[in-house]
Amino acid sequence: MLVLTRKEGEKIVIGNDIVITILSTNENSAKIGIQAPNNISIYRYEIYEKIKTFIKEASSNSELIFDTDKTDKVKLNKLNR
Amino acid sequence: MEKVKNKLGEIEYSDENVITFEEPIPGFEEFKKFIFVKLEREEELFQMIYFLISVDQPEIFFPILPIKLIVENYPNVEEYEPFGIVKLSSKISQITINLKSPVYINFTTNKAKQKILDEFDYPIEYQLFVEEK
Repeated sequence: MLVLTRKEGEKIVIGNDIVITILSTNENSAKIGIQAPNNISIYRYEIYEKIKTFIKEASSNSELIFDTDKTDKVKLNKLNR
Repeated sequence: MEKVKNKLGEIEYSDENVITFEEPIPGFEEFKKFIFVKLEREEELFQMIYFLISVDQPEIFFPILPIKLIVENYPNVEEYEPFGIVKLSSKISQITINLKSPVYINFTTNKAKQKILDEFDYPIEYQLFVEEK
């Protein structure tokens, strides 16, 4: 791992197209701005780990298509925003 | 026609049913080709559930559901349809759908990409069914 120390306002460049800016910092956190081409995915690390876990569980549970207790009257839970 | 066999049964498919992932599913990065199928089921409940079955390892398969059935104005990718991976359960109320990292499928090119929408507030696990009152 490359370790750099940057102050507020300072930047880091990765490759040719990715620029990371330390926008602001306080005791507990840093606000980080990331400029990257659209084809590069950027997300918080722990989100990726949670998603991987969900998908692995979805894969293990997929055979339950036959075992679900379908006696209740249900409908799709639409999300309205 | 080709065939695969797994716990869903024996599934026949041809090239036009095969989706290739350009951006793979987290945790399943080596699996790029999946068969996209709908199983004929009597239960109304599962009418809209499709399956992605790995061509290389058919024992790996996921139920998916078109996200537009749950969220009308879901983030769009031109030419691609968003699907949510569904985690089944023996209890209907515990069946959830992933709205955070959709699988976008282009049915013209048969290409797919899995995207993590961290910039939106959609949950990783969302309850898929509610009681009909």
